[in-house]
Amino acid sequence: MTDAAVPTAVPTAGTDAPGGRWRGLLTSPVGVAASVLLLAVLVLALVGPTVWGARADAVDTSDLLAGPSSAHWAGTDNLGRDILARVLVATRLSVALSLLAITLAVVVGLVLGSLPFLLGGGRLARLVTAGVGVAVAFPGLLLALFFAVVFGVGATGAVLAIGFAGAPVFARLTQTLVAGVAARDYVAAAQVAGVGRLRVLLRHVLPNVAEPLVVNAAIGAGSALLSFSGLSFLGLGVQSPSYDWGRLLFDGIGVIYVNPAAALAPGLAVLLAGLAFNLFGESIAKTLGVPVVAGALRVPTRRSAAPGAAAAPTPAAAPGDDDLVLDVRDLEVSFAGPHGPVRAVRGVSFGVRRGEAVGIVGESGSGKSMTALAVSQLTGDDARVEASRLQVLGADLRAPAGPQVRRLLGTSLAMVFQDPMTSFNPTRRIGRQLAEVATTHLGMGRREALDRAADRLGSVRIDDPQRRVRQHPHEFSGGMRQRAMIGMGLMGQPALVVADEPTTALDVTVQQQVLDLLADVRAADDVALVLISHDVTVVGEVCDRVLVMYAGRVVEDLPASQLSTAAQHPYTRALVAAVPSMDTDLDRPLATIPGRPVDPAHVPDGCAYAARCPLATERCRVEDPELVTSATGGRVACWHAGEPLPATAVPAAEHDTLVEAP
Amino acid sequence: MSALSFDRVTVRYGRVTVVDDVSLTVPDGEVVGLVGESGSGKSTLARAAVGLVAPASGAITLGGEPVPTRGRHRPVQMVFQDPYSSLDPRMSIGEIVAEALPRGGSRAERRAEVARLLELVHLDPTRAGALPARLSGGQRQRVALARALAARPEVVVADEITSALDVSIQGAVLNLVRELQRELGLSMLFISHNLAVVRYVASRVAVMQGGRIVEEGPTAQVLAEPAHDYTRELLAAVPGRNAP
Amino acid sequence: MSTTASSVAAATDPASDPATVPSYAGPRVTHRPWLRFAARRAGRLLVSLWVLVTASFAMIHLIPGDPVRAALGPTAPAELVAARREALGLEDPLLVQYAHYLQGLVTGDLGTSLGSQLPVTDIVAQRLPATLSLALLAFLLAAALAVPIGVATGVLTRRGHGRRTELAFTTGSVVVATIPDFLLGVVLVYVFGVELGWLPVAGNDGASSYVLPVLALAVGPAAILARIVRVEMVGVLEADFVRTARAKRLPAWRVHLGHALPNALTASLTLGGLLLSSLVAGTVLVENVFAWPGLGSTIVSSILTKDYPVVQAVVLVYGLGVLLTNTLVDVALALLDPRSMIRED
Repeated sequence: MTDAAVPTAVPTAGTDAPGGRWRGLLTSPVGVAASVLLLAVLVLALVGPTVWGARADAVDTSDLLAGPSSAHWAGTDNLGRDILARVLVATRLSVALSLLAITLAVVVGLVLGSLPFLLGGGRLARLVTAGVGVAVAFPGLLLALFFAVVFGVGATGAVLAIGFAGAPVFARLTQTLVAGVAARDYVAAAQVAGVGRLRVLLRHVLPNVAEPLVVNAAIGAGSALLSFSGLSFLGLGVQSPSYDWGRLLFDGIGVIYVNPAAALAPGLAVLLAGLAFNLFGESIAKTLGVPVVAGALRVPTRRSAAPGAAAAPTPAAAPGDDDLVLDVRDLEVSFAGPHGPVRAVRGVSFGVRRGEAVGIVGESGSGKSMTALAVSQLTGDDARVEASRLQVLGADLRAPAGPQVRRLLGTSLAMVFQDPMTSFNPTRRIGRQLAEVATTHLGMGRREALDRAADRLGSVRIDDPQRRVRQHPHEFSGGMRQRAMIGMGLMGQPALVVADEPTTALDVTVQQQVLDLLADVRAADDVALVLISHDVTVVGEVCDRVLVMYAGRVVEDLPASQLSTAAQHPYTRALVAAVPSMDTDLDRPLATIPGRPVDPAHVPDGCAYAARCPLATERCRVEDPELVTSATGGRVACWHAGEPLPATAVPAAEHDTLVEAP
Repeated sequence: MSALSFDRVTVRYGRVTVVDDVSLTVPDGEVVGLVGESGSGKSTLARAAVGLVAPASGAITLGGEPVPTRGRHRPVQMVFQDPYSSLDPRMSIGEIVAEALPRGGSRAERRAEVARLLELVHLDPTRAGALPARLSGGQRQRVALARALAARPEVVVADEITSALDVSIQGAVLNLVRELQRELGLSMLFISHNLAVVRYVASRVAVMQGGRIVEEGPTAQVLAEPAHDYTRELLAAVPGRNAP
Repeated sequence: MSTTASSVAAATDPASDPATVPSYAGPRVTHRPWLRFAARRAGRLLVSLWVLVTASFAMIHLIPGDPVRAALGPTAPAELVAARREALGLEDPLLVQYAHYLQGLVTGDLGTSLGSQLPVTDIVAQRLPATLSLALLAFLLAAALAVPIGVATGVLTRRGHGRRTELAFTTGSVVVATIPDFLLGVVLVYVFGVELGWLPVAGNDGASSYVLPVLALAVGPAAILARIVRVEMVGVLEADFVRTARAKRLPAWRVHLGHALPNALTASLTLGGLLLSSLVAGTVLVENVFAWPGLGSTIVSSILTKDYPVVQAVVLVYGLGVLLTNTLVDVALALLDPRSMIRED
């Protein structure tokens, strides 16, 4: 028995008003077709017997088992009754019984699935979970046969059978969904506030799992219909003189050599009705679960006030370009969003010399991570990367990398990503993953590459490297994995390390170890470093030079030593002031920046920081400042660079404006 | 208001001992910081305090009486770390705060109380009908604070409440915590991995490692003259200590 | 009714989700994980087995009325009914009957058919190979079709690519998956038996008899499996470790086949296993369409004639097959992805 389509994954917590998204259902052609078909089936179920009932029962002994003709489009059965009429009339019974069955399955499943949560863990809850686990292992048809034996053949028995057979799957689905929501903090908060479990279930849990349940119920209805037909087809479902599609199929297959239409007609009906339910369910799933992304990527590039090509901003790196391991000019990264293009990076230019450590610091929406990914050609195919110059170690990365460039990058460019827990392939041993670099790019044999891998692991201070090389990633701790990532980058001869928030997910003590390791790597071979972080203190400590990014642009480029003393841009100064340190004045409120970081999907005209800047004037809101040489030798993009800030902005009882959600 | 006391509390998950014989007191009206890294057990201790997890042994008392973990009267409340999962996305912020209010009172009274609480955390009370999706991370944490305060708690447990926020917004929430503590005399157990933040809000600090408290005392003293090696290690690892 | 593949979300056991148990410093590695895994899995198998056995025993006793009377018909003489009941041990207390039942299972005695008076064990032994061969061939065909199609489509429809392909594939696979196996069987009978007469459509006369039933059985699950593989592939291609592989500048085929594919397959394996179990059940319907001499036809006729010992035994055999399949899948999963051994129940 085919159990039909796959339900989709659980959608993330709804961010939109639920009603609006349902309208999306009607915008896709499949959704429209499915809805129409389903409506037709339901209407047919309602009116079928009334319209064609008489015709379906009309016995005509002169015309037994006839093939299709103009009088009887699908021929007649062994009592001369019109088959097509019988198929149409059978809609009601088929659909009604299936809906009854699925309702039973959903209700029982819902109750069983919610029980473990209601019982709050404990032995009974575990018993229920285990019971459902055992039941779910058995295919539905088997369970249906089991219950069919118990409840007896016939329509009632079949409804009960299919209903109870389908319950374990819904119970399991409900359990998983409920457990997922119950793990969220707002459920815990409600419990801590003293709200009773039942109320929490009804008020918080079920509304947030309703959507996937509805989707699965719709698809389940389709399955129930098919299963019911199957049971009747076997002779275990609806019994004569009643008839549903399955029963008609049962009758039809007996005479398939005489009148094939007797079997094909009800078969087609089953198929169409099943499709109606399934496609409908699928469409709902698509509408609710997956965010709609704009079609083809068409991103208009916006130029700032001054033409970009003519007045080229001074690059920070000194001339002598062979010294530059990374040379970026006018980098733009954008991708399609639900409300138009999202410009994550809006014209970034900088250079990194050999051996230099450059930090890129910014908050959410600043574009710092995208910059790092873009310069390493790792943004993914849905992002559009443009630059007037993008060279890594002399190779032009604006075009897709050919084999030579790939080898160059694979050996000379090392990447360290943010989340060490997911950065390694979980099904492969660490040693092989490191060795892969050597076998692919350095032409080493497997044995040699593995030896080198063990050597690299040792050099990043992982103890017992010979044993560790044979272990899987889940046997390494977070800090060890980051060190292994660095070790992987050392398999070649890296000239540049790009580290995207390498220590954010790590404990403070481990963070220090990893940063020390990076410093050692740099010192050993004059390796350049690009360190991306939201933590301005870390960047200030590790790097020679710091780029401060805001809303997709570099707003300041200054030596790290000047961060707390001679920063020119108001955002840089505010950022440094806002971080509590061990020397922060305890008697005064912490410096904050009013408002919130810019959403890359809605970048304002003019200077993006103007809305939060105490120095902002009319010019700032209209004209976006260019990045120019600052008074202290770095670069800054501000119309009021270096001006003294007004007396400490202590945010009084401000009422934060709530921004419209994108 | 009374003192929250952990008396030799041990918490186990299966066979693993996550909190090991911890004794700690949050004196009335003070903010006690709890620092530690991942696996130290600090979050578990917090969850035990509000009844989300039951201790295997030991007692958690408030003013001498065991902290109630069932029923409507819950004098120990909690604010969670992740602002994006601590508010029910389908409820308005007014409803979220109101749910935590003690029973009773007319609808008008409850509405007024919700408005008062929103004002307290510097949010516009006229926007009580907004859904969480329209708020920023910092604003959500403030709603979470308002919700915790709605239950008229004697102690609030703050579990890494600023760790998930942008730096520029963190300060506002921390300032609010200090303000509430000053105005309401709020007792608080403030959990964080960030020593600088804890230093800013807490008058006493306890350091946790591997499920145990390794050091405890007035903040200034512990940070200036750490007695335990691990505290020294934590202090040394704070970024910016070795600034050029 | 259950949708086997609707256990997509359902298949992950909430209790074993590591996210619900807090993490602690240090990797969660137990000593000799293989041993603990094997012990746990064997324990689960035994419990499920016991539930199955008890359920099949209880099945008869849950039926309202007298099963023997129902089998022999209302006109049978009362003494015959009583004698038969005595012979079947139905007069003994329930627990004694249960003990006898268990004893019989262990010794291989599954009772006697009410209809033919033949030992049930013989009937089962005679018909089991036909069903097994059908199910196995269908599974192999489904996998052979689904995996390459799923992987290829997955690569084609990864993020930022092939939106139209995705729509076409999804709709197409839903349509194909909706066609019930027995309906497909009927259509195949009509096309190849009635109209074209190319292939045999009844009974098992040799290799050519397998073609149509296997096809009918395999097509639907193949569509579902292809879909699952595609979804998993697309998901895996977004994973961080695939980005790492790209960062290592490995050639695309290496990234897709060496890194993405194994992880997509392990994720698909759980559901693939469920699909295999549903195939086992699907044989019931397909065998009836093609008059295939297997257990599927037996169980249906037995239910209709109320030959309960046979029904009981066949349910037991099917259930056992399902349990063994699940265990095999778990073992295969453990071999491919060592993490799955560590998740605690």
